Amino acid sequence: MVTAGQIAPAGSGFLPRAGLDALIALLEDDGRRVIGPTIADGAIVYDEIHAATDLPLGYGDEQAPGRYRLHDTGGERAFGYAVGPTSWKAWTFPARVPIGTAERDQDGHLRFAPVVADPPPVAFLGVRGCELAALRIQDRVLAEGPAVDPDFVARRRSALIIAVECTVAASTCFCTSMRTGPEIADDAADLVLTEIAEGFLVRAGTDAGRTVAERLPLVAAGDEQTSRGRAAVAAVREAIGDPVALDGLAGRLADRLDDPKWAEIAERCLACANCTLVCPTCFCTSVGQRSDLDGRASVTERTWDSCFSGDFAKVAGGTFRGRREDRYRQWLTHKFSTWVDQFGTSGCVGCGRCIAWCPVGIDVRAELAAIAPPPTRRSIRSAPVAAGGPGEFITARIDSLHPETPDTTTLVLADVHPAIAEGAPGQFVMVTRPGLPAVPISISRYHPAAASIELSIRAAGPATATISGLAAGDEVGLRGPLGRGWPIDQADGRDVIVVSGGIGLSPVRPLVDALLDERDRYGVIRIFHGARTPADRPHADDLATWADRPDVELATTVDRADEAWPGAVGVVTHLFDQARWAGREAIAFVCGPERMMQATAAVLLDRGLRPERVFVSLERHMDCGIGLCGHCQMGKAFVCRDGPVFSLAELGSNFGREGV
Amino acid sequence: METRSIVDALAESPVTRDMGRAERRRLAALAAITNAATGDVLLREGTETSHLGIVLSGRVALRLNVLGRGPITILTVEPGDLFGWSAVVPPYRSTSTAVAIVPTEAITFEAGPLREALAADDDLAAALNPRLMQALARRLSATRDQLLDLFGRAEGQAW
Repeated sequence: MVTAGQIAPAGSGFLPRAGLDALIALLEDDGRRVIGPTIADGAIVYDEIHAATDLPLGYGDEQAPGRYRLHDTGGERAFGYAVGPTSWKAWTFPARVPIGTAERDQDGHLRFAPVVADPPPVAFLGVRGCELAALRIQDRVLAEGPAVDPDFVARRRSALIIAVECTVAASTCFCTSMRTGPEIADDAADLVLTEIAEGFLVRAGTDAGRTVAERLPLVAAGDEQTSRGRAAVAAVREAIGDPVALDGLAGRLADRLDDPKWAEIAERCLACANCTLVCPTCFCTSVGQRSDLDGRASVTERTWDSCFSGDFAKVAGGTFRGRREDRYRQWLTHKFSTWVDQFGTSGCVGCGRCIAWCPVGIDVRAELAAIAPPPTRRSIRSAPVAAGGPGEFITARIDSLHPETPDTTTLVLADVHPAIAEGAPGQFVMVTRPGLPAVPISISRYHPAAASIELSIRAAGPATATISGLAAGDEVGLRGPLGRGWPIDQADGRDVIVVSGGIGLSPVRPLVDALLDERDRYGVIRIFHGARTPADRPHADDLATWADRPDVELATTVDRADEAWPGAVGVVTHLFDQARWAGREAIAFVCGPERMMQATAAVLLDRGLRPERVFVSLERHMDCGIGLCGHCQMGKAFVCRDGPVFSLAELGSNFGREGV
Repeated sequence: METRSIVDALAESPVTRDMGRAERRRLAALAAITNAATGDVLLREGTETSHLGIVLSGRVALRLNVLGRGPITILTVEPGDLFGWSAVVPPYRSTSTAVAIVPTEAITFEAGPLREALAADDDLAAALNPRLMQALARRLSATRDQLLDLFGRAEGQAW
């Protein structure tokens, strides 16, 4: 951090309102120009001030997307407003500065010389938390290498920083989300002021600040005054809330480069560059030449530029970002994603200027939420297991049974332990009866409120046949919920493809239930199912319900059918291997016999889906269900514990490999 | 449908969309649009194949008749896929009965003129034949998967 002084133990006190003039006067006595907020052209801007009366005393602001208005609220408050259109970069990184000269001397030789700024000392009065963060970000970009801007460093070093904690928030503020304010740490500035009704609480953070504080007419601050100041700042935090989900945002944005919403924003965006001009961290510049009329001398000037400018990414053959959607995407992804890669910090401080000063009111908070929504609930948890070791089962009662297909029966269980009834889609339970081995069965529907689950069991061997043959009122032992289910949170904002074959529909049924519960979180939902014959289709009622929904595309096929069947016949990939949709940004969940999943995976990859976003549910010999018995080991994974759901990327070449 | 819109339909169809424009136009000159009602038989198993067709919309069932079991649908031809490949493969007899099971629109090519054009026009043959083979290979591979009866009862299950 570039600071004017060294960190010192913070001296603190209370400065009565009338002492503000003393502060400005002594800064000027120290030879500093004092830059602070003042009213010009209907807005609060930063410019040179000489007395407290130059400040917007008694003014407040009203800000909203595309809107900024000042109001005379009466009273004497000096800092009762949020940030305006200028930022301190106007002084540390001016819009136009000379950086070099070129001259042709008497003999015709060319002489080049750099221009190094020698700025007079300044004091910035009224720097907010977000703005301190912006100065630190520009320090990182422009002063901390590998390349250094000497003009910036000179101007930055010359500035004494007097910060002010915000005691009002605009509707456009989101410093809380970006973790830049409204609170200001003692050592974040030379002096920190907090305005209360009768004056200012003052804290010195550096030697330079202390030198100023010692000459101010400070009195000791009362505890009551201090707590009033804290409360005012806390109220600002409360008012702003947490409108931007910062955790993981950089990665989510990086995954959304092809989101159609970029084009929707571009329909509103004027590419006017207002957002980059008011942004306190935007640092893109162009370098141009200005020469005198006889061509003997020229000045090289650095001027602010903007990634929204038409020529910004232009090369001889054209421009790399010709479309507005490209430029908006460049700006937003740089601020919130690639800036982190380049500089280890977000490029946004949450000051909200780009929201208020956008002529069409594009609200970056809303666009981030639309393009890169945060994952919510249901992240795959290591669920509370209702029964622990392989010998521990808890009893559940069969409430009813109904046949799904000639060999598959659905059991509706009641009195199910809450940890099981509240499991995740794709998880399974071990089911047992005395004298029989426990069998792994995927949960085919959850009814958490009723402490109930459904299990769809195919009578394939003695244990499954016995369980399928039980009657209502009979009891079974359950252990679970086990395994890692479908990663539904990764489907947020994406088109979703669900492909199942035969009884493989059962493990994906709770997944579809969950998708439809929050239908508007996802793009197009396409469900494909293949079965042996029409009579072998499980969950026929659900298939019919989904087929009737206008917001679901359902297609089913069977391997063989008689004349009465009006639907498709053929393998399940037959339903989409000729489709026109592209899968690059889609996510797929696949469940069925392994060979069917392999054929499906091949077609999905062919359609452009990424292996990281194609998930399959594997079936292996699962005895214990918790990674202890070793039966289901596959490569480095235990299918029961690490799966049964895996992405193709996780499985790599083990998927479909014989003998693993 | 005008020749112009047949050209468009061929440009859209997965079978012919990446074919050269000149070949597509020559193919269009041989094509007609056939509209079939539900139940219309387009090809009959064992008889001479009258047409090669590409389904534009609807659904055509390919059925084999098994004595005592009646007609079994072994595949449906969905939009974008073709039927009647035996129009250009000796002995030019249909290997299944093709029935429209919903109202269906198809581009059809009469077998005789199509064979003559392929014999006379090497460029056209070089453009169409690999695409027919691709469609057939896809069908063969899918048929093998069906043959595995993947959803059937697995033998020797432990549980």
